[in-house]
Amino acid sequence: MVEAAETLRLEGVRKSYNTGTPLEAEVLHGIDLRLARGEFAALIGPSGSGKSTLLNVIGLLDPPNAGRLLIEGRESSSLDDAQTTRLRGRAIGFVFQYHYLLPAFTALENVMMPVLAARGRPDSEMRATAAELLDKVGLTRWRDKKTAELSGGQQQRVAVARALAMKPALVLADEPTGNLDTQSADGVFEVLRKVNRDGGTTFLIVTHDPRLAQRCDRIIELVDGRIVADRPNVPSGG
Amino acid sequence: MNRFAPFEWIAAMRFMREGLAQTLLIIVGVALGVGVIVFMSALIAGLQSNIIRRTLNYVAPIVVVPPEQVARPQRGERSAALATVVQPRSQQLRSIDQWQKALTQIRRLPEVVAATPVVSGPGFALRGDASNSVSMTGIEPDSYLQVIGLGDKIVAGRLLLGTNDMVIGTELARDLGAGVGDKLRLTTATGGTETLTVTAIFDFGNKGVNERNVYVGLRTAQNLLDLTGGVSSINVKVQDPFAAETIAQTIQGQTGLEADSWIKTNAQFFTAMAAQSLSNTLIRFFVGLTAALGIASVLVVSVVQKSKEIGILRAMGTSRGQVLRLFLLQGAFMGLVGSLFGSALGWAFLLVWRGIALNPDGTPIFVIVLEPSLFLIAAAGATLVGTLAAVIPARRAARLDPAVAIRG
Repeated sequence: MVEAAETLRLEGVRKSYNTGTPLEAEVLHGIDLRLARGEFAALIGPSGSGKSTLLNVIGLLDPPNAGRLLIEGRESSSLDDAQTTRLRGRAIGFVFQYHYLLPAFTALENVMMPVLAARGRPDSEMRATAAELLDKVGLTRWRDKKTAELSGGQQQRVAVARALAMKPALVLADEPTGNLDTQSADGVFEVLRKVNRDGGTTFLIVTHDPRLAQRCDRIIELVDGRIVADRPNVPSGG
Repeated sequence: MNRFAPFEWIAAMRFMREGLAQTLLIIVGVALGVGVIVFMSALIAGLQSNIIRRTLNYVAPIVVVPPEQVARPQRGERSAALATVVQPRSQQLRSIDQWQKALTQIRRLPEVVAATPVVSGPGFALRGDASNSVSMTGIEPDSYLQVIGLGDKIVAGRLLLGTNDMVIGTELARDLGAGVGDKLRLTTATGGTETLTVTAIFDFGNKGVNERNVYVGLRTAQNLLDLTGGVSSINVKVQDPFAAETIAQTIQGQTGLEADSWIKTNAQFFTAMAAQSLSNTLIRFFVGLTAALGIASVLVVSVVQKSKEIGILRAMGTSRGQVLRLFLLQGAFMGLVGSLFGSALGWAFLLVWRGIALNPDGTPIFVIVLEPSLFLIAAAGATLVGTLAAVIPARRAARLDPAVAIRG
């Protein structure tokens, strides 16, 4: 049995593209990985090592070709499309390199969006929750602005707040600060750390930036679709 | 954010507001299309009902006559000779057998509005040295006026038909130099002669009719045409003139008499009307198709532009059904709003047209009836077309793979 404290478990996960064609290429060669609740882990590795693919598989956006994937103890392969969508919406939050906010909506409405999609109609409670989250990422003043009027760092912080809207057990961040200047990047990273510390949310952060990786509790290194190093890390520099 | 609106509605409205220029452009396109459809439909419907009203004013929708007499060659049993040519028998003027019974039967049919007995035949109208061949119609004024709108066409005198009265057309009055109160002599081939007083003059707006038609009392015509107690035909008015042929067949089946509908006797005219209806339908179809393609193309572009956003919506837990409805709603909304503006536009066209197309006396040429049902149908149709047009882009959006959409 899987303990409740385990947020994520991968056993022998393989992922290929163009299966069944001459161009078939295996990107992930049997990944084993566990993340306990409240972990704050960095996933590093050179370009093309399969980091984003691994993140998509964990995020239930791309099914694995082999192996087991369990999120909060639920086996992903047993779910149909609608159940996968529901589990993804409830248990996983995404932060991408680009924020992908909906420009037609305000910052607050963007944060409400996942809850709104799940419940169908807006209510005052989800509005209050969204306002709270924006407060947490330090954007209370900008919550009624359209997202196009915000700076890059602010937009990314809205995206973080949105990722947290469903109170997910796991947040997957793909180069969350890759597009930002150092100062904004530090700001966004601080927000992630704070959410992890306050709420016990598990984080898996893909990054190229060794400086950022050094500030995580655990560093997992992926090379050519295999985990070559997995070590605990004592966060440095705040 | 409206608290009572569902997620799909909120997102659809925001997406359309975001691409406001595109949205307005397509709404204007739909409005123009619907405007043209409303205008054309009302115009053609008005035109047709106008023509039908004018035509059926002096043509009964159904005329019931005795069955045609046929030649039956009599041959002895042993005769082997076969007649290769059978000369058709000449049709003499005959009465409908037991016409009162047939009339009652016809009047009882639910589709029949009115029916009237008529005695008609050829004759001559004479006054002094002038003579004119005429087509004489003996009528029972009370029931006849329910079938044929003769009453509205009287231009002089009063429509009274006693045994010594007659009603003639303007052309005949001019040819014979006769006016209301003058006397004319009517003669027929069977030797009947009567001297009658002109009580009224009609104008059907048709020279032939005004020259030939002469109305007399039923009894007068029976005497003149040697058809005492009989009638030569029964004229029938029905509720729906376009159903006349089916009703005629019913009458034929029930009475054993021959019933000819105006559709059969005016086949040419009816074909022209049907062609007009068909071209109207075609125009509607193509205008509708154009509007649908416009909506579809705008939405396809929108799906492509928003594929990343749709991907992120899906990644956040939005279901395929929600994405599908989001785009269907946009199509329906653009169709509905476009059709509302279009109805107003069509209405305005019609009012302007009604003011322009006037008879010399200032009355409108066409009586255009603005039917609310036309606007309702146009609105419902455009909403449906908009929704259908959105199906392809909506399915495309719903099928987007979130991973591919975000990555690519």
